[in-house]
Amino acid sequence: MTDTHYRFPPAAAYALNRCLYALKSDDAFRARFVADPDAAMAEHGLDVEACAALLAADRDALVARGAHPYLVFMADLRLRMARGTATFEYF
Amino acid sequence: MLVGAFACAHTPQLIARPETEDRDLVLRVHAAFARVRRRLAMLQPDAIVMVAGDHVEAFFLDAVPALAVYVGAEAAGTFGPYTYRFPIHEPLARAIAEQGIERGFDLLYTQHARLDYAFFVPLHFTMPAPAVPIVPLHVNVYLPPQPTPRRCYAWGEALRDILGARPERVVLMASGGMSHYPGTERYASPDYDWDRRVLDALRDGRGVELAALTGEELDKAGNVELRTWITVLGAVGAGKAEIYCYEPSWHHGNAVVEWQCEPR
Repeated sequence: MTDTHYRFPPAAAYALNRCLYALKSDDAFRARFVADPDAAMAEHGLDVEACAALLAADRDALVARGAHPYLVFMADLRLRMARGTATFEYF
Repeated sequence: MLVGAFACAHTPQLIARPETEDRDLVLRVHAAFARVRRRLAMLQPDAIVMVAGDHVEAFFLDAVPALAVYVGAEAAGTFGPYTYRFPIHEPLARAIAEQGIERGFDLLYTQHARLDYAFFVPLHFTMPAPAVPIVPLHVNVYLPPQPTPRRCYAWGEALRDILGARPERVVLMASGGMSHYPGTERYASPDYDWDRRVLDALRDGRGVELAALTGEELDKAGNVELRTWITVLGAVGAGKAEIYCYEPSWHHGNAVVEWQCEPR
């Protein structure tokens, strides 16, 4: 099933997915990332290419490196909520 | 006993609406949720057993269960500004875990995992007053390899038997769907025709047909989350669905559905 939208996450991408998971679900980590992204990414030991893709919010580059698309999507949404760059009507 | 069954969308944009979302559409889905809430008040359940797919919130790659049962005293989580906490119906949750294992389903159980917004969003809009306890049931939908549709349907059949033998009045609710592709290049192109064919089948009581789908077909149609509906379909069998709403947004087929159940 190599052409599916959601694929088996490669082990080599564990650190990247762990970082995206923290951006999505760990409020304290997300705050550290907003304040100092380089230091936050260093906590997860991301390589230079992964850091560049994450800083650029380059979905295609992240997914090509094994990032899970849903984690990319929700990490980005939660960052926009945290930064106040998008406005929401809460029900 | 099983007294009611529903399936609901849980799109986060329904609770936290960005400017990209059509407000009227969101409110129409809320109206369908309100109808579910009124039905729940009439059905007077002792518990809501909710089948949802954790969005890599409780279960990251450290441990990926196919099927899980929350058996703690309560289940809690957060989403953006929302903090939520629901009591769990412990005797029912424990019975589902024990009897599920007895019936050959190798379930994970947890007394402390976070509760994902997939559970929270429908409960936020449909929980009757006074509130009733829940039993969260997780189905892995986003981390391949996921359980097959046939396995989900069989789990639903087992739930029908387990719940049917219980003294409590139980409502079964699926959370998820329909077509959407979060995080992929297809995000703005859901397969609404596929959704409508599924809804036609459900309206006709042909839900068992969904058990024959493959995981690949669900992925292609943007319906990996339909595994939660297929689980509920295993419990309602040939029951005919009433479609409360089908509201296709620019990225998501939002559906709310009920199957009326005769207590067994």
